[in-house]
Amino acid sequence: MFGWTGTILRVDLTERTFRKETFGEEFAHKWVGGRGFALKTLWDELEPGVDPLGPKNKFIVALGPIAGIPAPNTGKTVVAAKSPLTGGYGDGNLGTQVTEQLRKAGYDMLIVEGAASEPTLLYIEDDKVEFLPAAEVWGKGTYATNDWIYARYGRKVGVLNIGQGGENLNLYSTVRSLEGRSGGRPGMGAVMGSKKLKAIVVKGSKPIPQADPKTMKKLGAADLRTVHEMDKKSGWSKQSTTGILAWCNEVAALPVRNMRKTRHSDAWKIDGERLDAARVATYGCPTCTMHCGIAVHDREGRESELDYENIGMLGSNLEVFELDQVGSLNYLCDDYGLDTISAGGVLGFYADAIDRGHIAGDFRFGDGEGAKELLRLAALREGDLGNLLADGTMRMARKIGRGSEAYAMHVKGLEVSAYNCKLCPGMALSFGTSPIGAHHKEAWVITFELNQTVRDSYGRDKAQKVIELQRIRGGLFEYIIACRFPWVELGWQLEHYPIYFNTITGLNWTLDDFWKVGDRIYSLMKFFWLREMPDWNRKMDYPPMVWFDPANADADGPIAGKILDLEKYDGLLDHYYDLRGWDKRGIPTRKTAAALDLEDEARQAEAFGRLED
Amino acid sequence: MKVTVKMIGSFVYATGFSERIFDLAPGTTTDELLEIVEIEKSRPMIVARNGQAVVQGEKLEDGDRVVIAPIFSGGQAAGPH
Ligand code: SF4
Repeated sequence: MFGWTGTILRVDLTERTFRKETFGEEFAHKWVGGRGFALKTLWDELEPGVDPLGPKNKFIVALGPIAGIPAPNTGKTVVAAKSPLTGGYGDGNLGTQVTEQLRKAGYDMLIVEGAASEPTLLYIEDDKVEFLPAAEVWGKGTYATNDWIYARYGRKVGVLNIGQGGENLNLYSTVRSLEGRSGGRPGMGAVMGSKKLKAIVVKGSKPIPQADPKTMKKLGAADLRTVHEMDKKSGWSKQSTTGILAWCNEVAALPVRNMRKTRHSDAWKIDGERLDAARVATYGCPTCTMHCGIAVHDREGRESELDYENIGMLGSNLEVFELDQVGSLNYLCDDYGLDTISAGGVLGFYADAIDRGHIAGDFRFGDGEGAKELLRLAALREGDLGNLLADGTMRMARKIGRGSEAYAMHVKGLEVSAYNCKLCPGMALSFGTSPIGAHHKEAWVITFELNQTVRDSYGRDKAQKVIELQRIRGGLFEYIIACRFPWVELGWQLEHYPIYFNTITGLNWTLDDFWKVGDRIYSLMKFFWLREMPDWNRKMDYPPMVWFDPANADADGPIAGKILDLEKYDGLLDHYYDLRGWDKRGIPTRKTAAALDLEDEARQAEAFGRLED
Repeated sequence: MKVTVKMIGSFVYATGFSERIFDLAPGTTTDELLEIVEIEKSRPMIVARNGQAVVQGEKLEDGDRVVIAPIFSGGQAAGPH
């Protein structure tokens, strides 16, 4: 078998033991890597109803055949577990040297089981695995922890670590890697924290098995140059993802004031132009030639790396319109290891609840200094307020009550990313049907929706487009593993990925083969939900209710007086289920399961809820 | 007639301006405007007029605000066929 190492490293933190396991072609071809490997493993190995923050949950680091190969944007790693934030399958991807190092150490997947009794650093170097004390950095932020690790092992290692957010079981804490990014929005940092696992350090020295390494090397090197040239020619990296902020503001899709508003006259102060002008450094993930991380100095003079999502959620959504102040909030999230999108959603919801008189408090929209203190409380779970904020929007709304669920901006418990869908039914469907909660990474349909359809339409074409994009973004890029931006932003053709895959594995797959894997993964994620939540119903695939409330329509601007229509959304959801071969609840039918080679999983799922034919 | 034109993202650098008011002949269409602002027609783009996507050949009116953005997100042409 080429392309896969065929080896899994299984580590037990309770027993401080480890062992190597192998897998064969069947598993490799059926699940390919990344999200596929992680999901199938969690499905097979987790007891239904397991406590996500207990020792029986498993933390998974999963890679794929393309991961870590020198070719455009292959430096991504998937981290996964049962999510403490949503209760379903949860994962995220991040750019890190772990990708290449873990593959070179000889593994396609790392499964971490049990829980350590003391703060622990897991050190992996080829066949060697060590459990080292990490008490010295427990309680420290991700920057200090990374420095501590680099001082010991040099900068050539791959590092995954958590900050105080993960240690204190903040439910939207992430996993961080200073050689790239953060990942794992649905509380993957808390899962590491619950295992007292402060960091994973990886170093590898073996070649990655490839069918035709010579061709891949040539191809990869040439394509890296081409993508770099395409980026330079397009000028995308000048503003990177933040170019979208001004556009969202113009077309009334920007999150403002906990998404009560869609535009703001001060939005220009935090847009891509201002960001580029304030740039002090640029960062990127390993094997990337279109670096998208633009760093500015924050109010305290520290470097803070911003992108659209964090400016949208920590800036406009909180009505904080000073770039250095947004930078400070972002820096704190990164250092504590909190997800910036969810943190912005949580603080926006809190300010909104106070504003509506549903809870007492003195935090207001626009209060950047107050937001800093709240992030600290949330990361440390300090006091009642810290605990309230650390549990995420869905649980906050349950506690606050008084109808606050209606403006709690989450789907399945995961906070909505930075697109205000008051009049974007397709994007709302994308958020609604995302199997890990309201994440933009699954299907980013908003520009298609506004440009190529009637915005306020609910036709089958929109449902079809959401599925197409889920197959690519939530599918291909998440299990083959690569960064989607060359395709998203530069028009780098998808066909390159089967070429890489086939060169590395020696197989002969087409894009259609990949779509089937993506559909299989999406269907199994639904079975995972059914197993955890036997009373699952289609309402779990609804976006936040405030987007259907006529009282919440914009007073002026391009979408004045308009809002989503629940009945029509239901029709759109029916189209979506129909196209996917799922029933009216949004659960795959037996027939669909059979077509996707999921008969065994369907039989197991039937123990928890009836499947339709 | 006066029309405000706003460039988004990389188009700011391609055209050399971020936002500018143009004095146009009555009846100017969005296609004609694209020639006036000198954006390579082959670049995939989204044009919005007063916050709404425009159809080809749409006529502009006095006081309009036109936003021109490079295409974001694959999925326009590519995708599963
Ligand atoms: S485009 Fe950005 S997110 Fe993607 S690999 Fe490059 S630096 Fe990382």
